[in-house]
Amino acid sequence: MNLNLLHKSFFIVKRICNVRHLYLTKSYLNFAVVNLNEKKENDALEYTSEDLSTITPYFPESFNLAAYVNSSETLQNLVHLNVNLSKIEKKPSIAEKILKLDFEKDIKRGLIFIKDFVNADDIGNFLTKNPLILCEDVEHLEVRVNYLKSKQFKQHEISRIITNNPFWLMFSTIRIDRRLGFYQEKFELSGNEVRLLATKQPRLITYNLHHIQTNSFVIKEEMGFEDDEIKQLILDKPRLWMMNQKTLLERFNYIHNVIKIPHKTILQFPHILLCRNFKVKQRHTFLEKLGRAQYNPTIENFVPINALVELTDIEFCKKYAKCHVDDFNMFLKTM
Amino acid sequence: MVKHINAALAYKTLNGLICVYKPPRVPVRQVQHTIVTNICRDLNALPDRPQEKRVEIIGATNAPMTVKLVPNYADDPLVCGPRYTHDDFRCSWATHLGLFTSGVLLLGLNEGTRLTYQINVARPTRAYKVHGQLGKATDTYFWNGKTIERSTFNHVTRAKIDRIVAHMQSAHQKTMFELSGLHMDSQTAYDLASQGVIRPANSKLPIIYGLKCVHFEPPNFTLEVQAVNEYEKYLWTLIHDLGVQLKTSAYCTGLQCIRQGKFTLDHALLRKHWQLDHLIDNMDSCRQLIEENEQLLRPKSAHLSV
Repeated sequence: MNLNLLHKSFFIVKRICNVRHLYLTKSYLNFAVVNLNEKKENDALEYTSEDLSTITPYFPESFNLAAYVNSSETLQNLVHLNVNLSKIEKKPSIAEKILKLDFEKDIKRGLIFIKDFVNADDIGNFLTKNPLILCEDVEHLEVRVNYLKSKQFKQHEISRIITNNPFWLMFSTIRIDRRLGFYQEKFELSGNEVRLLATKQPRLITYNLHHIQTNSFVIKEEMGFEDDEIKQLILDKPRLWMMNQKTLLERFNYIHNVIKIPHKTILQFPHILLCRNFKVKQRHTFLEKLGRAQYNPTIENFVPINALVELTDIEFCKKYAKCHVDDFNMFLKTM
Repeated sequence: MVKHINAALAYKTLNGLICVYKPPRVPVRQVQHTIVTNICRDLNALPDRPQEKRVEIIGATNAPMTVKLVPNYADDPLVCGPRYTHDDFRCSWATHLGLFTSGVLLLGLNEGTRLTYQINVARPTRAYKVHGQLGKATDTYFWNGKTIERSTFNHVTRAKIDRIVAHMQSAHQKTMFELSGLHMDSQTAYDLASQGVIRPANSKLPIIYGLKCVHFEPPNFTLEVQAVNEYEKYLWTLIHDLGVQLKTSAYCTGLQCIRQGKFTLDHALLRKHWQLDHLIDNMDSCRQLIEENEQLLRPKSAHLSV
């Protein structure tokens, strides 16, 4: 290419785009593609009549998606769907895959498919959690939904499963089948109970199975629940199996060995195991100080065990501790 | 309580000292993290500034171009992340409290980090409630250690414990004047001592100004300690030494800081109240307290004032 011509194009671009710091070597790469019709060799500062809107300044690779969002229709559409791009960009490998997608060609079909199962309000959250579902084949997703239908999950159950666990559809039918089988066998559940479990806490099915095994050990051997009690527990509060086993044991230890609540009562309010230990501790020691820590329903002045976790502090003080909340706050400052 | 209508205004008020109640077995760093996270959460929930616009000039360059004002997607919180994050806050403590200590903790936010430094250098006294138990000694001097000794404590009475405690206090005050670098028999040392107790020059040596048994119910007892430069383990050993001098053994069962300078438990904010509104209120009251007591930050003499 004629060097003079190149020089000229360089200066024109410099004027129009107001790009200050372009090196000639770099500009060669950027502007070599520009098709120049003009043959006149003239002063570089002269006005030109050709269309230069296709020329852009050099654009380096960016660490975040915000740099691309103004020029990318796909990303803008995702923002309109309430997808949190700032969370997606935390994983650069995923962000790279999302950038390469085209809305009309790649995303639209998957989105229309997902829309049948996920509420319009939840779709942003869904895609934020699992953006890679847009890269998945729609046929595969159909197969996975059909599998659920073949297992007699109802439509509202399927939509609940998919909404609450965005990763469910990433698992192949073989894996899901194996996992449902695992839960059925491990906890001796009937078909209906497996469906209930999967609908109630869909994240449990796709959870790390090693973690589930450890928590089962903690609940059975260390906490000492019977098999039928465990079954009742998993159907009532499946989230216990997704907790950190150390925390779980610490909470149980406090409730069972310090407050002396028997297994049977815990089974009635398993919610108490989901509450942070310091809250239970605060309220229990306060009641103890007042002489009201009496959790046996057959004796008078009975305080139900769920009083330790439910209600706000004000309501708790009024209803069970029978005192003003300021007294409770004062007590907390002696702990 | 003032309800804030704008996140930017609320952020600007967050410069100063806060006084919180640190629960036991929660590290100070976690307290800092929780508070900053809560502030960020509350600030992000407040009404935000309007989204920025950007000017777009489009069209062919050889024809009349159109100028448009379009919303700037890059400024959307969904794209660039939440408006306030941990990086927007600096947070420092005035004095560190150990893991097992609970009680009054002074934290500086943003510009307030300077105040925490000044308070630290001014060395105000701190008051502790140290709970101990007789009859057992552990290898860490605290309840979490292994038991290394058991002994009887029937001979310990209130009078005996008071005598030992008074003796320990006077021994500490004597060393304090020895550490001042003056000859103990000189006139200068006498003049210094006649004006009252002095504060330490450096932050290395723990000094106890007051020691008192406030609760005695064998085997449990509680000491109230007024000290400067103390640390968790030092107070544990204090209980252990007390046990030895009482001809039995003792270990520490709990530690609570009830006062730092002028900041008492009444000012301290409980864990459930670590929210934006409460924190801003607390910051106001702390600012008032500092304004009323200038010597908290800039002590005028070596003598102990608080």
